[in-house]
Amino acid sequence: MNDNAYIALTIIVMGGVTFAIRALPFLGARWLDKHPQIKRLGAFLPLSIMVLLTGHTLLDIGRSYGGNYTAEGIAIAVVIALQWWQRKALLSIGVGTLIYLVMRNVA
Amino acid sequence: MSNTGAVGPIARSPLLLSIPVAVGYIPLGTVFGFLFVQAGGAWWLAIASSLWVYAGAAQFMMIPMLVAGLPIPTIAAATFVINLRHVFYGLSLLQSLPRHPWAKSYMVFGLTDETYSVLTTLPPNTPAATRVWVTLINHVWWVIGTAIGALIGGQAETSLAGLDFALVALFAVLAVEQWRARSSAKPLWIAIASYPVALITWPAHALLVAIALCVLSAVLLDYLSHER
Repeated sequence: MNDNAYIALTIIVMGGVTFAIRALPFLGARWLDKHPQIKRLGAFLPLSIMVLLTGHTLLDIGRSYGGNYTAEGIAIAVVIALQWWQRKALLSIGVGTLIYLVMRNVA
Repeated sequence: MSNTGAVGPIARSPLLLSIPVAVGYIPLGTVFGFLFVQAGGAWWLAIASSLWVYAGAAQFMMIPMLVAGLPIPTIAAATFVINLRHVFYGLSLLQSLPRHPWAKSYMVFGLTDETYSVLTTLPPNTPAATRVWVTLINHVWWVIGTAIGALIGGQAETSLAGLDFALVALFAVLAVEQWRARSSAKPLWIAIASYPVALITWPAHALLVAIALCVLSAVLLDYLSHER
């Protein structure tokens, strides 16, 4: 991740896409009214995407440490349980990462 | 502004209103800046990302995608999908935007989940200037957090093995919150079914293929349940 031109261009494009989405209701309220499926997809897809990103990065990290995914499985279970009961994002991320660090570096 | 008969705290300070957002944005911005730099990105690009993209989940998503060197149109498509929920936001704020074109554009640009939730709690007679300031100050918290994280990430001589788990944990947290807000369990099952298929058919681009499969399934399901 050291190709600055590629990263900068990605940032510019991502910013443009994000702004366009946020501006869509102001520019095309009528068009949006005629296409309710856009709204429904906006409500439907984020859960799928977040689950995919979680699974993908989890497998990726397990692969990069060449393990059997035990440490990853335990740490992610802790994160999900904490977030489910406590609903404090930073607590869940912090505790989960700490547990994973200990398992990777001490055990 | 007239004071006649005005009761109650109308003129709340924008800084005060943005404090709850700061509590979330500064640490999360720090995590983003840190992970971005640890993944090999330049510190100023981390800050540029928070200045210009300004969308939490999408910015975190861009890290593994940039590491994988995915084509820019692919990353743009993923950004589109992940930010699509923002289409909801503008509609409810249509009436309360400032007149000035630059202020108006900036507020539309800064309409993140958190800013939206603050703006919707303001009483209708809140001055437009207050709304613009809240949007701006929230943005500043996010950029400050990113700068702190990028700085720490750049100073860390040896990266501690396993610190990249923070990114996985963040996605898991967002997934749990999306699950809580779900209207059906289908998005979860579709994701779980898509990934193995993607892994088998095109392992080098499993994430991309899986996202595409999810979008296709969602469009198809939507069509089947609504068009007839």
